[in-house]
Amino acid sequence: SSAEDAAAAAGDEEEGSSSLHPPPAKKLKVEHDKKKEKRQKVDEDEIQKMQVLVSSFSEEQLNRYEMYRRAAFPKAAIKRLIQSITGSSVSQNVVIAMSGIAKVFAGEIVEEALDVCEKWGDTPPLQPKHMREAVRRLKSREQIPNSKHKKILFH
Amino acid sequence: MAEEEDDPGFDEDLDDGSNGVDSGQGKRKRLFSKELRCMMYGFGDDQNPYTESVDILEDLVIEFITEMTHKAMSIGRQGRVQVEDIVFLIRKDPRKFARVKDLLTMNEELKKARKAFDEANYGS
Repeated sequence: SSAEDAAAAAGDEEEGSSSLHPPPAKKLKVEHDKKKEKRQKVDEDEIQKMQVLVSSFSEEQLNRYEMYRRAAFPKAAIKRLIQSITGSSVSQNVVIAMSGIAKVFAGEIVEEALDVCEKWGDTPPLQPKHMREAVRRLKSREQIPNSKHKKILFH
Repeated sequence: MAEEEDDPGFDEDLDDGSNGVDSGQGKRKRLFSKELRCMMYGFGDDQNPYTESVDILEDLVIEFITEMTHKAMSIGRQGRVQVEDIVFLIRKDPRKFARVKDLLTMNEELKKARKAFDEANYGS
């Protein structure tokens, strides 16, 4: 059985090692490091792919992409808006988080509106009717928070 | 039909952030017109979006932030808005959740980098 122990100890690093289990903490750390490595590799791939894509952009595409990356809500206005509702001050992180998700939200609406615009045989600039239809669609998919009315679950 | 809405009217030239035209949410002063225009272009709209559409989007964004703020106030530490609350509220929305995590991580890294920079220049 000491030969068994030695063999098991040698196979320590492998996942799913059988008879003599390594201490749980070490096994967790190994798994975590492998996942972190994989995540970093995926990130690096993503970054490289983006670079290849951006390098093939036309001037118009570059302009639009720059706006896409840079456009942001003014932090002061967002902070004022939140604080006017809470009546107390909020941290910088809250302003950063809220500005960030508000931008994602705006993007979802514009994307949907562009979809509507195309489906209706129209072209940009987006018209109010496209925006309103986009909101309707996102709401029906529950992608827009609405705590004003209760969904009726069972009739 | 909806034809009247399509005409941007004469408002484009008057847009200096204080457009008084009622676009659905009352005569609120415009907070983000400039930024939203850039954003809409970035997201795929025309380089010069219609003012009415920008206004609609602004109202939607303000409504979104307002709802999020109220919800955040009702969880965690009552009456306060903390980052943890926001993260919890959007946990099921993969895009927004990932974005917040990224932003907060980046902010931490920036703070560390700035601190290291300051210490290198003025420390010991």
